[in-house]
Amino acid sequence: MFSIIECRNITYYYPLSRFPALIDINIALEAGKIYGILGANGSGKTTFCSLLRGFVPAFYQGTLTGEVLLKNKPLSDYGGLLAKEIGYVFQNPFTQLSGVKDTVFEEVAYGLENIGADADTIEPRVIQAMEKTNIKDLALKNPLHLSGGQLQRTALASVLVQEPDILILDEPTSQLDPQETRNVFDIVKALKEQKKTVIIAEHKTDLIAEYADEVLIFEKGRLTNRGNINHILSSPDLIDRGVLPPQAALLSNKLKQYGISFDSIPITYDQALNVINRLLHTEKR
Amino acid sequence: MKYKTHFLKHDFSMLAILVIPIGVAVNFVGGQTAAILKLPLYLDAIGTMFVSMLCGPWVGAAAGALSNLVSGVINPSVLPFIIVNIGVGLVTGFLANKNMFSSWWKWPISICIISAITIILSAPVVVLLYGGITGGGTSIITAVVMAAGVNIWTAFLGTEGIFTVLDRILSFIICLSVIRCIPPRILIKYKCGCTFIKNQNKLPPM
Amino acid sequence: METNYTEQIQIYKTNKIAALYPTAKLIIVVLYIFCTLVIGTVRITSLSLPLLLIPEFGIVVFLLIVSEISKNGYNILKDIIKFAAIIFFVQVFLIPGGRLVFRIFFLTLYEEGIRSGISLAFTLLNIAGIFIWFFQTTETKEIIRALEDSGVHYKAAYIMLSTFQMIDVLSQNSKTILNAQRARGIETDGNLLLRIKAFIPVLLPLFLTAITGVEERVLALETKGFLVECPKTHLLNVKRSGHEAYAVMVAALCTIFILAGRVMLCFLS
Repeated sequence: MFSIIECRNITYYYPLSRFPALIDINIALEAGKIYGILGANGSGKTTFCSLLRGFVPAFYQGTLTGEVLLKNKPLSDYGGLLAKEIGYVFQNPFTQLSGVKDTVFEEVAYGLENIGADADTIEPRVIQAMEKTNIKDLALKNPLHLSGGQLQRTALASVLVQEPDILILDEPTSQLDPQETRNVFDIVKALKEQKKTVIIAEHKTDLIAEYADEVLIFEKGRLTNRGNINHILSSPDLIDRGVLPPQAALLSNKLKQYGISFDSIPITYDQALNVINRLLHTEKR
Repeated sequence: MKYKTHFLKHDFSMLAILVIPIGVAVNFVGGQTAAILKLPLYLDAIGTMFVSMLCGPWVGAAAGALSNLVSGVINPSVLPFIIVNIGVGLVTGFLANKNMFSSWWKWPISICIISAITIILSAPVVVLLYGGITGGGTSIITAVVMAAGVNIWTAFLGTEGIFTVLDRILSFIICLSVIRCIPPRILIKYKCGCTFIKNQNKLPPM
Repeated sequence: METNYTEQIQIYKTNKIAALYPTAKLIIVVLYIFCTLVIGTVRITSLSLPLLLIPEFGIVVFLLIVSEISKNGYNILKDIIKFAAIIFFVQVFLIPGGRLVFRIFFLTLYEEGIRSGISLAFTLLNIAGIFIWFFQTTETKEIIRALEDSGVHYKAAYIMLSTFQMIDVLSQNSKTILNAQRARGIETDGNLLLRIKAFIPVLLPLFLTAITGVEERVLALETKGFLVECPKTHLLNVKRSGHEAYAVMVAALCTIFILAGRVMLCFLS
């Protein structure tokens, strides 16, 4: 398949730091897939996201070896126009506000104003993005008066409105309740159907198991594991690497210790349900 | 002209653009809080000093000018003091450029210079435009001293001088404690930020 | 089909004077300040007092009333009036100099004191007053939009706009912190040292939070295309009311009239 973004021999040091934040990263991400990025705090997840967006090294400086290619062109060739290609949602929803808009509607429209979109096309696009993220009833509210969850959805809407090909989400659900979290992942799924590439750094392994196509696991700056989601997330040593395994896998691995054998370790609730059904079936027989 | 755009671009980085509003807001809130607590100090240039210490004289002067324009919306009588705030911004910025905040023994010298420029610039505004009255808590003292027949300039310098120095000491301590909390990897991104990084010899070769 | 948000975020004004375009109002402000300075040089009566500044202040009052902002305008103006009154009395009663005009018991009035008292107090009232009129009839985002239209760089406009929002955020936070401090029993009254000590924990935390957010804010703005060099679109537009030319013309005529009067006075005396 077509690789949309590719990292070649990346090693990166933050300025003033003697330890590399990323070590020897080689990876090509394919278009139209959802990638989950897992790892303990400080394992390099956020740095990797910043690398893909070009903040490393353009903003953070430091020393970078290797190169990142977006659609076969080095990231540095894009300059400010990178904003049209890659959307990025940050951890803290408050700092993502533009700081100059009085209503959620204008806040979401800000990105389009900045790239000089035609004034008549802005409103329908903004309404669409607000509908997707379920904030349309907040349209005329002041963003400063919103709750954390509402702000996070506003942040997502203001990135979606620009319709980038690649979307990077760095812990986008940290402020959301379970239902809102699921909404975000449903939006991500819908984006995949539009052939967009989504990269999510997230601690909620259960949701990654359910929605992602592939996972990348980071450990102390190294990309230690990537690829098939079932294989990686069902591995019993996941927890030693700073990643909480999905509930289903956790339970199954526990049961395994008590002598109940499975042909495959489930990682999502649906898979777990199947496995348990099958188990009950064999017990009865 | 080419030089000018270059220097604007260099000094007014994205960080500087975002720090100016914070500096102005801190000036504003500092002044407001000092008034609520009925302090005899203005404490309304903390933000200007902070911006200058990190981003140099031009960005600092911009923050100072903007502060007075913004306060002028609510109280137009502060508008003439714009020259004081610009002056403080410029001088603090030049001191930062000259590494005058890097070690503790330079601090008193810098504070004295900043206080001096504050008094030198505010005296003509207060004396010529407002007849020696600032509207602050110290005005009564100035008025009494003037009534005793003391020259208006002497009266102003005598009463405001000491409070200005106190004001600047407190402002400086606050600025320095905030700067100390900024991680070094961010600090080096500000134009004058390197001044405040301890153990500069620990830097890896770049 | 849907409600039109773009229309709902526009600024609508019913008052014709308040609805003037910001730069037109700004020209009027500048002309008014110029006139005040000219009128201040006209000395009348045997004490040569700048008394004409007093009726000139009537124009500010008139503008505040016809722009239908007399209530808000007065609320701000009353602090300036207090300040001007203090200046006036200090000058009149405390400044010895010139001819002794009047004396009862310990109160002495000198010519110089009265002259500078009137001059300082009413110049302040006139200039501050016209600014109050301008800022009360014009929203800050209107001013900044008009500035951007007249060629100010979009980054400068951003700095100004975000300053106002930052002030809102920080002053709200400072009030919350101050109340929390009081509730925890930290003294915000009491002696000077205690009050200075109370100042630092109010300002420091909100200062720090604001500064630590800067880094992510830079990146967030960049992802929203802030650095894309192109003509920016604006959903908010500041409209001209159509009366700008008349208003500026009236102001200019008044200025010429006042200036001519001043020059004629020179020749007469």
